[in-house]
Amino acid sequence: MWTTKTFLKKRKGSVLKIVREHYLRDDIWCGSDICTICAHQNEELVLEKNPQPKNKKFPFPHYIVLDTCVVLNQINVLEEDALCNVIVVQTVLEEVKHRSSSVYKRLLDIVGNPNRKFYVFVNEHHKDTYVEREPGEKVNDRNDRAIRVSVAWYESHLMSSQADRRKRDRVKVILLTDDVDSKQKAENEGLHVATISDYVRNVEDCPGLEDRLSQHNTTYELQAGGREPLFPAHFTPSQIHQGIKSGKLLQGSFLASRENFLEGQVNVEGQDKMILVQGRVGLNRAVDGDIVAVKLLPEEEWSVPSHMVLQDEGDDSDVLEEENAILKSKDERVAKLPTGHIVGIIRRKWRQYCGILQKNPIEGSVRHIFVPAERKVPKVRIETQQADILSSQRIIVTIDSWPRNSRYPLGHFVRALGTIGDKDTENEVLLLEHDVPHSKFSEAVLSCLPKLPWVITEKDVQSRVDLRHVDICSVDPPGCTDIDDALHCKELENGNYDVGVHIADVSHFIRPGTAIDKEAALRATTVYLVDKRIDMVPELLSSNLCSLRGNEERFAFSCIWELTSEAEIVSTRFCKSIIRSRQAMTYEEAQIKIDDLTQNDTLSKSLRGLNSLAKILKKRRIENGALVLASPEIRFQVDSETQDPIEVEAKKLRETNSMVEEFMLLANIYVAIKILEDFPECAMLRRHPKLPVSNFEPFIKAGRNLGFEINSESGKALALSLDNAVRPDNAYFNTMLRILATRCMMQAVYFASGMVQRDEFFHYGLAAPVYTHFTSPIRRYADVIVHRLLAVSIGADVTYPDLLDKRKSHSLCHNLNYRNRMAQYAGRASVALHTHLFFRGKVQDEQGYVLCVRKNALQILIPKYGLEGTLYVSPHKGAKQNVTFVYSEEKQTQKCGDVIFRPFDPVTVQLSLDRSNVQHEKIVLKLVHPQIPGFSVPSLSSVKRKESDENLQEEMEISEVSVSPPIEKISTKKQKVK
Amino acid sequence: MAEILLSEAEKTFILHGVEEGFRCDGRMRLDYRPMEVETDVVSHASGSARLRLANTDILVGVKTEIDTPYPERPREGKIEFFVDCSANATPAFEGRGGEELGTEISNSLATAYQSSQTFDLTALCILPGQQCWKLYIDILILECGGNLFDAVSLAVKAALHNTRVPKVKGACLDGGTVDLQLSDDPYDCCRLDVSDAPCLVTLCKIGDHCVVDPTAEEETCSSGSVVIAITEKSLVTSVFKTGVGSFHPQTLIDILKVGQTIGLSVNKALRAALLEEEQQGRKKECFGFLK
Repeated sequence: MWTTKTFLKKRKGSVLKIVREHYLRDDIWCGSDICTICAHQNEELVLEKNPQPKNKKFPFPHYIVLDTCVVLNQINVLEEDALCNVIVVQTVLEEVKHRSSSVYKRLLDIVGNPNRKFYVFVNEHHKDTYVEREPGEKVNDRNDRAIRVSVAWYESHLMSSQADRRKRDRVKVILLTDDVDSKQKAENEGLHVATISDYVRNVEDCPGLEDRLSQHNTTYELQAGGREPLFPAHFTPSQIHQGIKSGKLLQGSFLASRENFLEGQVNVEGQDKMILVQGRVGLNRAVDGDIVAVKLLPEEEWSVPSHMVLQDEGDDSDVLEEENAILKSKDERVAKLPTGHIVGIIRRKWRQYCGILQKNPIEGSVRHIFVPAERKVPKVRIETQQADILSSQRIIVTIDSWPRNSRYPLGHFVRALGTIGDKDTENEVLLLEHDVPHSKFSEAVLSCLPKLPWVITEKDVQSRVDLRHVDICSVDPPGCTDIDDALHCKELENGNYDVGVHIADVSHFIRPGTAIDKEAALRATTVYLVDKRIDMVPELLSSNLCSLRGNEERFAFSCIWELTSEAEIVSTRFCKSIIRSRQAMTYEEAQIKIDDLTQNDTLSKSLRGLNSLAKILKKRRIENGALVLASPEIRFQVDSETQDPIEVEAKKLRETNSMVEEFMLLANIYVAIKILEDFPECAMLRRHPKLPVSNFEPFIKAGRNLGFEINSESGKALALSLDNAVRPDNAYFNTMLRILATRCMMQAVYFASGMVQRDEFFHYGLAAPVYTHFTSPIRRYADVIVHRLLAVSIGADVTYPDLLDKRKSHSLCHNLNYRNRMAQYAGRASVALHTHLFFRGKVQDEQGYVLCVRKNALQILIPKYGLEGTLYVSPHKGAKQNVTFVYSEEKQTQKCGDVIFRPFDPVTVQLSLDRSNVQHEKIVLKLVHPQIPGFSVPSLSSVKRKESDENLQEEMEISEVSVSPPIEKISTKKQKVK
Repeated sequence: MAEILLSEAEKTFILHGVEEGFRCDGRMRLDYRPMEVETDVVSHASGSARLRLANTDILVGVKTEIDTPYPERPREGKIEFFVDCSANATPAFEGRGGEELGTEISNSLATAYQSSQTFDLTALCILPGQQCWKLYIDILILECGGNLFDAVSLAVKAALHNTRVPKVKGACLDGGTVDLQLSDDPYDCCRLDVSDAPCLVTLCKIGDHCVVDPTAEEETCSSGSVVIAITEKSLVTSVFKTGVGSFHPQTLIDILKVGQTIGLSVNKALRAALLEEEQQGRKKECFGFLK
């Protein structure tokens, strides 16, 4: 027997009428032990034969039928053992599933408990209890009617089986509903009915049950398509166009905040301050990178960025309370930023995103949430049948659309990358996430490589300067195979020095317009990950033919100066050459050679000469206002077999590092001068823009709070004030200040000289009027272009049209800058990944420093690992914490009792990896010192001491203590019902 | 059109009969054969009807889809006819055999519905210039028993009468795309006003006289037919001629007059039948073969 159900469905802008067959059966049993009619299996007899009447109002044996809103509102009461022998009709179950997945799960748990005697009656498929929707009837009314029909059916069905019972022993069915209308109708139909509070108040021997009644009586309305859209509508393209033309709207790119998913900024070209956008309405479905149209709010509605660290953890039914929290927490005293609302999307910049699947808690559901690895990107709702497999994998998902009534954008699954936590998978993720081209080189590219064995021909020798007799050496980090620079230094008879910087002649092998050239231009740079290098050019070139290896004859592009002993430059010349490096040294080897005065060979002498010249050059550079900046850099010692990190150390800087750096800078500057002179329109240079003073404001404020005046008027003043900001009690203070200063800086960028005003060529960080990149052509494409320009300018090579087209150069610079930035981020992400791997199964106490103070957290920098972590000080909703922190925005402090946290304060924190969520491992910080009772955790050493003293049982207690400090609670997921 | 083989004697018999005012099946010249119409026979379609006129069997389904209106008519919806001549009807329709006939019928319908005074397309507009409903009218010819034009047009009108367009509760622009809110109640939908939808009346010239509702045999004897599209308000929206024969101007005028009165009564009869069916409500018995 069957009937049909008809409903309308919207799909891809069209409306479909869908007709489904709906089967009705006559073999659905009532589940009651009384029944003599139904052909039950034994295990199906859930409802008792003689339920105990425990209710004063209904002093006869009875079963209970629940209404949907009773389940939704009073799930707490239902979880008590007091109510037994309950019939849950399918209509209710479906509605609850639809309305709240968490309540649904709790209800299923109750149903699964055999002691509770909850029976699910599939009324929707029972031939006698299925009701069809009447014209004009609301879904709710139809469902209520369906429930009443089921109650009536049960009543008559059970009655026919207990005709022989005494009247007062007969089991009746009671409907519990809070809906006034439905109750009235049920009464009219002659059913037993009560409100839940009425019923619960009269339950005997169960004190306290009444207290669990929720007073929160939501009138619920189940509407399939009629829910109020979450987002305001976007403007039409023509409206946006007119708005921008008339100046009412501004166009810019949207940058989502990494720390707070409800906040972002719009970077409008030609405005020095970014426009702040906040809240769901303000962001209005913009995704990081989108080009958007933004409407400025009137000045009195301007706001300040919240200092909250907020991650989207709520499930779908969650109302965004955080949003209100942000918007309320406006502080009147702080200077407000221009604030706006995004009103339209001009161009989506959606790409494919890596991330993980967050499985729908409801078993068998095909709709899941995708959590991207990049925190700036919102979660995406996807549909997939293979959630079980995918939930343990890194997957790629693409966004399709973001309708107004959906909290998350809709997308679809593209492909799986591999198992979560697997290092190869994670590497793949971060390469994809940073848009690093990392596929193998194509056949076309490989065919451009020279044939092996490669020999230097007579013709080559004639066209190049032969420097094979010069004692040249290279100094690089250990394990470096792509050696692109080598040096020499020779004392001349007149007391001056002959110093040469020899750079691998990559442009000899990579000819313009070839496949290999195009590929290199696309890749733009070699990307260094902790355990992997993604080459810009094939390995044959990068590690062999171009690499200036020891004792092998190689082509080079040389830059040779005559310097006085005071490092004044007498003359400069450039030439293509053939060299033979005497030795490829590491920084450490070179340092030993310099320091070991017993060594007096030519190499040692030349190194010493270079070193002393470098010191003078550096001093002069710093006097000119070059900045010494800092960023925490670390190295991993990796296990040679598993490639897993086993030890972490901060990168050591030796004199030799600075020596090589100094000469590279010198070469770059002189090459820049030379090519700019010969190609004023199309030289590829690098500039570091001086940034507006406003960018330094928070930094200056932080300094002032600690009594240091930072002057950012000019590079020199800044360098000076940084030098003076030293605190004797905190050796790391100055470094941290420099780290912060570095973060304020803008990034240096490549540009074509014809596209930028002459006075903007300046390199702020190096205090150089012009600068370029010449010294690493193996790993940077910009250097290849510079080599070509220089070769043309000295007559060693011919030019080609693209080289001299400033527009082509400009777009090339664009790509180079983008790739460089991405390569940098990928490198950092790789370090972060390895830090995670390193902390697997480890708990360590480390010295750290407060980098900045947030409203609900402290940002802690741990120099040893170059790691920055968040120490939450206020608990998330639902978690309890005995101590409270007081935040002062003015002074940038968090205070708890007597303990005050200021920026730059040293602290001791305990680091561990939270692996409770396999999909999302994170490093957790817990405070060790200063001690705050109830918040901080005991240090590891003290725990260890106790362990050895005391017996096993106590040891377990201790380990429990260290496993569940407040922070754990903070990171638990909220479970909330609307 | 599907030709039936008739002998010369049979043709003469029909011809003489018409001359005398008698037809083979006992009708007068201006009588229709009995018709059966049933609506809502295809549950998947937004509207449907099946019409049987003696041996002619037509099934019509109406599908509603969202489309953008024509730029020159921003406030109007769209309507499109498609006729499928099933090979069940006659072996001649096999393969692409029925294509020509199908196109002829769908074109004639399109012309008949084209006038702004017939079927009101503005009711199908959702957002002027942005979105409108498009009605796809799929006509399936299941059996050919003559007089296809009349039968098809009546079935189309019945199906349109039955059509329920989803009710749009709200529509607004989101970026460049339109965001619709639909009512979730499947019974809550709009009906279309078909009072102005035209019916086609075929007047078939046999000898010197005209007959309506020709059978397939009579069509074979005819030298030409005039088809008139006429609404309930007696408005003629299109007239066209099929077949090879010619008409004297005076004959044509007479024919048009006859057609007009006939068309009116056909329209009236159809309307009465549809109303009667509707009054039976949701409990009505289904005769359709698809349910």
